[in-house]
Amino acid sequence: MMGKRIRSVFENAAIPILATILGLVVSSVFVVMAQSDPIQGYQRLFCEGFGPKGCETFGDLIIFHPQADDGSTQTVFGPTYGVKGHPLAIVLERGTILILTALSATVAFQAGMFSIGMDGQLVLGAVVSVFLGFWLPDQIYALAGVTDPEAAPPALLTAMHLFVPLVCIGAAMIVGAFYSWIAGYLKVKLNVNELISTIILNAIAVKLVGYLINFPLRADFNNVARTRRIDDTAWLVPFNRGLLPDVDWFSGSRTGIGIIIAILAAIFIGLYLWRMTAGYEQRMARGSSLFARFGGIPSERAAIRAMLISGALSGLAGAIQILGVERRVVDGFASSGIGFDGVLVAILARESIPGIVLVAMFFAGLEQGAINLQFGNLPRQLGGIIIAFIILFSSMEDFFRRNIGRIQARLRPPKIASVVEPGGGGT
Amino acid sequence: MTSAVEMRHIRKYFDSTGVVACDDVTLSVEKGEVHALVGENGAGKTTLMSILYGLVSADSGQILLDEKPVRIHHPNDAILHKVGMVHQHFKLVPSFTIAQNIMLGMEPNQLGFINGASEAEAVRSLAESFGLPVNPNLRVADISVGLQQRVEILKTLQRNAQVLILDEPTAVLTPQEVHELYTVIRKLADSGRTVILITHKLLEVKEVADRVSVMRRGKMIGTHQVADVSIRDMARLMVGREVILQVDKQPAKPGDTVLEADNLLVAGTGGIPAVFGVSLTVRAGEILGIAGVSGNGQTELIEAIAGLRPVDGGRVSLLGRDITHSNVRDRREAGMAHVPEDRMVMGLNLSTNLDENVVVTHYHQAPYSERGFFQRGPVRALAQKIIEAFQVKSARVGEDIRTLSGGNLQKVVLGRELDGNPTFIIANQPTRGLDVGSIEFVHKTLVEARDNGAAVLLVSVELEEIFSLSDRIAVMFEGRIMGVLEREAATEQDVGLLMAGGSLDGEHAHEKAAV
Amino acid sequence: MITLLNSYNRQIRTALLIGGALIVVLLFFGLPEFMVQSSIRRATPYILGSLAALLASRAGVLNLAIEGKMLLGAFVAVAALYKTGLDPMVGVLAAAISGGVLGLIFAILYLRIKINLIILALAVNLFVSNATVFFMRTNYGAFGTLADPSINSLPTLPLPIVDGIPFLANRFSNYNIIVYLSWVLVVVVWVVLFRTRFGRHIRAVGENRAAAEAVGINVTLVQIFALTLSGILAGIAGAFLSIGVLSQFVDNMSAGRGWIAITVSLFAFEQPVAAFFTSLFFGLAEAGSATLQTDASIGLPPDILLMIPQFATLIALILVALRIRAAELLKRRNFAAQFGRELANLRRGVVAGD
Repeated sequence: MMGKRIRSVFENAAIPILATILGLVVSSVFVVMAQSDPIQGYQRLFCEGFGPKGCETFGDLIIFHPQADDGSTQTVFGPTYGVKGHPLAIVLERGTILILTALSATVAFQAGMFSIGMDGQLVLGAVVSVFLGFWLPDQIYALAGVTDPEAAPPALLTAMHLFVPLVCIGAAMIVGAFYSWIAGYLKVKLNVNELISTIILNAIAVKLVGYLINFPLRADFNNVARTRRIDDTAWLVPFNRGLLPDVDWFSGSRTGIGIIIAILAAIFIGLYLWRMTAGYEQRMARGSSLFARFGGIPSERAAIRAMLISGALSGLAGAIQILGVERRVVDGFASSGIGFDGVLVAILARESIPGIVLVAMFFAGLEQGAINLQFGNLPRQLGGIIIAFIILFSSMEDFFRRNIGRIQARLRPPKIASVVEPGGGGT
Repeated sequence: MTSAVEMRHIRKYFDSTGVVACDDVTLSVEKGEVHALVGENGAGKTTLMSILYGLVSADSGQILLDEKPVRIHHPNDAILHKVGMVHQHFKLVPSFTIAQNIMLGMEPNQLGFINGASEAEAVRSLAESFGLPVNPNLRVADISVGLQQRVEILKTLQRNAQVLILDEPTAVLTPQEVHELYTVIRKLADSGRTVILITHKLLEVKEVADRVSVMRRGKMIGTHQVADVSIRDMARLMVGREVILQVDKQPAKPGDTVLEADNLLVAGTGGIPAVFGVSLTVRAGEILGIAGVSGNGQTELIEAIAGLRPVDGGRVSLLGRDITHSNVRDRREAGMAHVPEDRMVMGLNLSTNLDENVVVTHYHQAPYSERGFFQRGPVRALAQKIIEAFQVKSARVGEDIRTLSGGNLQKVVLGRELDGNPTFIIANQPTRGLDVGSIEFVHKTLVEARDNGAAVLLVSVELEEIFSLSDRIAVMFEGRIMGVLEREAATEQDVGLLMAGGSLDGEHAHEKAAV
Repeated sequence: MITLLNSYNRQIRTALLIGGALIVVLLFFGLPEFMVQSSIRRATPYILGSLAALLASRAGVLNLAIEGKMLLGAFVAVAALYKTGLDPMVGVLAAAISGGVLGLIFAILYLRIKINLIILALAVNLFVSNATVFFMRTNYGAFGTLADPSINSLPTLPLPIVDGIPFLANRFSNYNIIVYLSWVLVVVVWVVLFRTRFGRHIRAVGENRAAAEAVGINVTLVQIFALTLSGILAGIAGAFLSIGVLSQFVDNMSAGRGWIAITVSLFAFEQPVAAFFTSLFFGLAEAGSATLQTDASIGLPPDILLMIPQFATLIALILVALRIRAAELLKRRNFAAQFGRELANLRRGVVAGD
């Protein structure tokens, strides 16, 4: 049993791994065109993305020999060597939002809804949480008669630290869920193509948020329009700022509760899809909608529920990005297409939950590495190019399989078996 | 007589299914004859003709047209060699006019520009020259099925086809249209063209064909003059044994009425009327068989009773409870089971494992789920129980069912549906495409269920099946029940007459149907 | 989507077309000249982009990579002119070719390698948006904007005849060649689709692939051609963005126009002429918002105004869906009513059908 399981995991992982290698190889053409050395370029890329501070070679990613202040060298395990912070901490920060949006996409896909509305849901969730993040504490202070938040009673602050982020996150999830519900309802009740409707809904959300930031929520006369910063009580405080004793590994990153929420969400979605009847309903509705109807599964309800969960996850992603990382919304956030990456992660992870976590981290590391890439003439867009090729190659699975299958069929003599005609044969 | 088509030693193996669809098949068709190609579902007849028309390429073998060897790898090659095919599912573009459809792919043009008027004129004169009048400017979306078929035939004639392949041409036609079609076929043969008719309706062969070739399980069994073989002989050749599907069963002991449909009115897909005021009752401990040519409203009727299609008028009740507008789950909880027509798409979800397939009707109930979570133990136990009770070979708990054979898949469906002793069972074409062993198993299972007191509503287009299983026979034609006969009192002739829209006692048929 | 559009009633389509044209004409003659000019310029990428979208989807392929093809066209047009001193028409040609080549590659990856259409489009868009900036940095050392005095933008040309009519001259003349080209292409695409063999094959392939296959039409080839043409149109649209207005390339300068072009084509029920008017409406809305941005005295913010066409598209989609649903319900109701009459007749002893 176990061997079989391992084999199937390996088989599922083989194509993404192959695609990643092919993607890197093909992208190296671009590195060469930029007159750089691909091996060295990739070494820098991966060190900046995944390696400890001071990483120079691929080997340093795993086994690293840092020089101590006194000049002596040590031998340490790369991923845990966190003096002055570790890029992986930033990968976790960037990966949080990718995990959540990829989960969002997966829940929708697993109901047969090809929704790519994560972007719109995310930016709406972000703007709702930023608004509540400063407005709600204002109201509470006013009610409690506190004029200077610094002088507020500690009990009140503690209560607010617990209560305000919860409300912000909850509201963002509700708004995201509602926005996603629109596309779900239109699909289920009126058969409006959800791909098209989510594209349009994304465009509307981006414009709406652009308007909100530039007008009603604009905080100051800063060149680039931006909202007020959220109150400290709404802040999902990063790990290395007071919440936990400072852990050096996390320095320089804003990783915090968000990643824990994201992992919990991943576990929940895994349970939901594969262990709960509700997840079963939506998967059956996707695999064969006639079958679901025939079996008495309320598939419309299941599809709408999937869209609600999907939207809530995207809204959650937006809230965490704002409450934990950015703390305000700046103009341009909405149109950055931040929610699209999750769709790509979900596709590459083939909708597997552990796969999503891994791929999200990989993408985050590639992007992070590319941004910090200081090697020759290589622009950071190399990261995007690599990702595009990896996606292309990973979706060539059918092509690979077809050709492998064809070769295998040649080698195997045909069975003389029963009688099936193509397309079901003549009635 | 010279031979128009010769196919020699044709062999075709399908990678995807691992099946040899044509195994060393040889066929010879003479010029100017109507040649019927008969066989059960999956016998390989459609594949053979797809090879002749270039839709499928053979692995080996030779094709001769007019006694000259030809290579046909694409429909274009076939058209070039004057072979035309009318497919079972028409290949027409709905928004195009009749003329545009007929001329598709061979539009008369000047530098690529089309002259619509001359196109229509060409079609009109073509149609008239063959005595098949059409209005070339009507949109195909707006015309009847019979007319669409005529367009398909004209399409092949426009390409100057000398050999016409008709794939199950009567499956979708009204009896009137069928007779018109027969006339057309004869006319085409008289004009020197060769017609190959793919069918599994033996009556049709008798009516219109000169010679008949029988295929079985990918092999050619033989070719005969139609005049020399009886329908019974042909049937024996098709199935490879005497057709004695006599099921060993005791006389029914019908009990109370379980299902009652009263004046049902059901629209088909796209809102087109499909069922007109059907009334029927099924009692406990009996099998009511619905006979009829497929496409006469049986599917819609069954879907309406099963809760898969909204009812537009009338009433359905199960054990006295009105379920006209109940959803599927309520009906199932009230004791309804359903063995659907299409087990691959509706009856099962082939993309998942056995467990998730067998639990679909009960997944929301204890012991299979508690507080929204699946309980693996009971689910696996159910799967195991079904495997054992229904002898589902090569199926394993927790594993994919995609690779199971048709018979085993149907056993999974039956096992699931009959679990929990339903009071009312719908069985729609339960043996379609199955091998003989599986057919017998399915029949035995249904009779057992009946003997245990279940009411069974059986739909089948195979008359033998209706006769061997049913206790009463209802005949459906054009969305109406033409009559309900006791099994003992029913003859094949009577049922055949009703199936064709006739009546047993003059004008009363209409009234019986409606009231 | 295709079937959905085909079942759409012809009269409604005509009404929409006439309505759209009326609005556009009214607005045009009631607006100041600079607004008209700005609208037409802003509409041009949408006209070309929506033609590209509808050509592909008429052939049965939802082309979601228009955005990428547009962006590539914009970049290539500038790259071809950078320090070469060539005529800007060379840039347009290069953009058209690059769009066509990308369309061809897209078609082959989709039709031969059989990559999922949506994934493919997302990957292509991602690739182009990164690769253009990549080369902008590595080959030209430019950050964010690629501009050079050697890059000439397309000159404006007077339109013969129209230029002589005083009222029209200031509105419909003195644009660059791509603007006129886009008008011509609307007609060309219409003629191709509805009056030529090739166009009929495209429509047949898109509407019923099996029907086209059965009469020997090479479906793959038709789709490859349609996607290549679609790419060429998108490439020209891109060239308009970069050398039709300012003569520079800016990071991600297509800015979602490719996606909007798809919604334009949908809103226009994949009819070239309707797409033209819809594009004009989008251009008008954009021009309006741009004016409002500079004119603070008017209260309506630009983002809100730009949401209008999007809302309109969504509502149009819903209306189409509702109409189909309503037609089905109506048929049902008629059927039930008619059956009731028949039944009553029977009871009175009248035989049905007499």
